Amino acid sequence: MKGRYVDENLKWIPILIIAVYLFPFLLKSATFSYKYYLYILNMAGIYIILTVGLDLLSGFTGLMSLGHAAFLAIGAYTSAILVDQAGLPFELSLIITPIIVGLFGFVIGFPALRIEGMYLGLTTMGFGFIVKRLIIALREWTGGSGGLQVSKASLFGITIKNDWDNYFMIYTFVILAIIIARRIVKSKLGRAFMAIRDSEQAAQASGINLAKYKMLSFFISGLFAGFAGVLFAHTNHFISTDHFDILLSIYFIVMVLVGGMSSIYGAVLGTLFIVLMENMFIPLFKDGLSQYMHIEAGDFQPFIFGLIMLIFIIFQPLGLYGMWLKMRIYWKLFPFNPRKRFT
Amino acid sequence: MSDLLSGLLQESISGIALGCIYALIALGFTLIYKATEVVNFAQGEIMMVGAYVNFFFVTQFTGMAGGLNGWVFLAALLSSILFAVLFGIILDYIINRPLKDAPVFSIIMATISLAIILRSLTAMIAGPISLVPVSPFGDSTIKAGGIVISVLDLAIIICAIILMGLFFFFFNKTRWGIAMKATSADSEAAQLMGIPVKQVYRMVWVFAAIVGVISGVLLAPRMALLDTTMSFLGLKAFPAAILGGFGSIPGAVVGGIILGIIETVSMGTLSFHFAWIKEINDIIVWIVLIAVLMIRPDGLFGIAKVKRV
Repeated sequence: MKGRYVDENLKWIPILIIAVYLFPFLLKSATFSYKYYLYILNMAGIYIILTVGLDLLSGFTGLMSLGHAAFLAIGAYTSAILVDQAGLPFELSLIITPIIVGLFGFVIGFPALRIEGMYLGLTTMGFGFIVKRLIIALREWTGGSGGLQVSKASLFGITIKNDWDNYFMIYTFVILAIIIARRIVKSKLGRAFMAIRDSEQAAQASGINLAKYKMLSFFISGLFAGFAGVLFAHTNHFISTDHFDILLSIYFIVMVLVGGMSSIYGAVLGTLFIVLMENMFIPLFKDGLSQYMHIEAGDFQPFIFGLIMLIFIIFQPLGLYGMWLKMRIYWKLFPFNPRKRFT
Repeated sequence: MSDLLSGLLQESISGIALGCIYALIALGFTLIYKATEVVNFAQGEIMMVGAYVNFFFVTQFTGMAGGLNGWVFLAALLSSILFAVLFGIILDYIINRPLKDAPVFSIIMATISLAIILRSLTAMIAGPISLVPVSPFGDSTIKAGGIVISVLDLAIIICAIILMGLFFFFFNKTRWGIAMKATSADSEAAQLMGIPVKQVYRMVWVFAAIVGVISGVLLAPRMALLDTTMSFLGLKAFPAAILGGFGSIPGAVVGGIILGIIETVSMGTLSFHFAWIKEINDIIVWIVLIAVLMIRPDGLFGIAKVKRV
C-alpha cells in the first residue's frame, strides 16, 4: 500500500473532514435559516455519492450514461418498498438496495459490450424512460404516478429526525464514498478502467478482460447510485417519478463535466457548484432579471445550466478541478512561469 | 377481425406520415454525422424553433396580406428557410468551429447543452401559452376504399420523399456532395485534395437546419398545439436514426417509417385490443431500439467499422 498516493499531499485531508463535520455548527451560528441550507447540502451530498460513481463509469471507463437518474430511481423505490412494505431495517436496506441497483447496472452493462459511444448513451437514455414507465406500471408497490411516502430512517437505534441528523449521516457516507472511489481509481481495477477508456484494443491486447471490467464498472457505478437512491428516498420522505427526469440524468453529467472528467475531486466540486448554483445564485439572478422581462422559473434554470455547460466545454474542458490544478502549478512556478501555458 | 385490420391499415398510413417526420429529423442527424462525425442532439430543438419561427411569419404575413391564403404560407415557408440558413451558420460558429478536435463525449454534451438552451430560450421568449398552428390544407381528407387519409399527411409524405430524393441525389451526384463524403471519410486528406473543409462543414449545418425547420413547419399543424414539448420528438427521432444505422440516408428513412408505424399502431388499435400495450406504448420505441441494437450494434443499414489500434 505504501506509495499509492505519493504524488499527493494528504495532510489537509483530516482537516477537511473535521471541517465538514464542524460546518453545520458554523452555519447554525451564522444564519437563522440554517435548516434550509442544511437540506440543500444534504441533497448535494447525495448527488456527490452518485456523481462519484458516474465519474468512475464515464470519466474513468469512458462509458457514457444518460440514464443515471434511473439508477437513482430504482434505488429510492427499492429502499422505500423494502423498508416500508417488507419491514426490513434501514441498515439492511443500505446494504441490499445498492446491490440490487448494481445488478441492474450489470444488466445495462450487457449491451455496453457491443454498443459504443453515443449508441450507448441512447441505450441508457432509453433505459431511463423504460424504468420510469415501469415504476408507473407497477403501481401496486410504487403508488404509480401519484408518488410514494417514505418513512424516516433509523440507523442503529437512532432515528434520523431532521436535516441536522441527516447531515452527519449523509456526509459520513459521502466521505466513505470518496475514499472508496479513490482507492478504486488507484488500484488494479482503476488502471484497467483507464486502459479501457484510452484504447479498448490496446487494453484487450494487454490482457484486460473487456467484458468483465466494463460490467464491473457498471456494477460499481450502480452501487454508488443505489446508495444515493436510498439516502434520497429517506431524505425527501416523498418520491415520485417526476423526480427522476431525463433532465436529471443530464444534470449529473453536467456536474461531472463542470467539475472535470476523470477526477474524483472534480465530481465533488462540480456537484457542489451546480447544486449551490441551482439553489442560491439562480434565484438571485432571476429576481434581478424578472424586473425587466417575464421569466418562468422552470425555463430560466435550464437556460443557465446549458450556458454554463457550453462555456465549460468550449473554454475549460478540464473543468473546475483542471482550473485548480493549473492555478496551483502557476503559483508553484511563480516567477518563472511561461505565460502561454496557463491561459 | 376486419375492424382490427382496417384500423391497422388506417393507422399505418398515419404512421407513415409520422415516420416521414421522424425520417426528416433523422436526416438532419445523418447529414451532420456524415460530414463532421458530430451527433447533434439539438435537432429536435432546431425543428421546434423552425415551427415557432414559421408561426411567427404566418401571423405577420397574414396581417400584411389581410387574410390567410396560399401565398402567405409560401412566403412564410421561404422566410423560415432563409432564417434556417442564418441559424445554421450561427450554429456552425458556436458548436462546430470551437469543438472540431474535441472528444465525442464533449461534443455530445455541447449539443445537449445547446438543446437545453434553445428550448428554455424559446419558452422564455414565446411565453408559457401554447400556440394553435394553422394548417395550409385545413381539415380536408381523401377517401380511398375504407380508409381516410388527411391531405396534410399526404403532403408530409410527398415533401419527405422529395427532400430525401434531393439529398440522395446531392450526396451521390454533385461535386459538393462528393466533397462532403470525402470530408467525412478523412477531413485532413480532403483538405489536402483542395476541398474547402470549413465551407463544407458550414454547408452541412445549414442543410441540417433547413431540414429541421422544414420538418418543424410540416409537423406543427399535425399537432393540435405548439409548445416546447415538441422538441422531445427530436429525442424520439434518435431511435429512428440509430435503428437504420447512423450515417445512412436510406437507413434514416426506413428507421423513421418503422418507428412511426410501430408508435401509431401501438397507441391506437392494438391498445384497444390488448390492454397491456397501453402500459408501454410511449416506451415501445425504446424497447424496439434496444432489442435491435443488441442484435445489430450498428443498426439495420449501418456498416460495422473496422477497429484499428
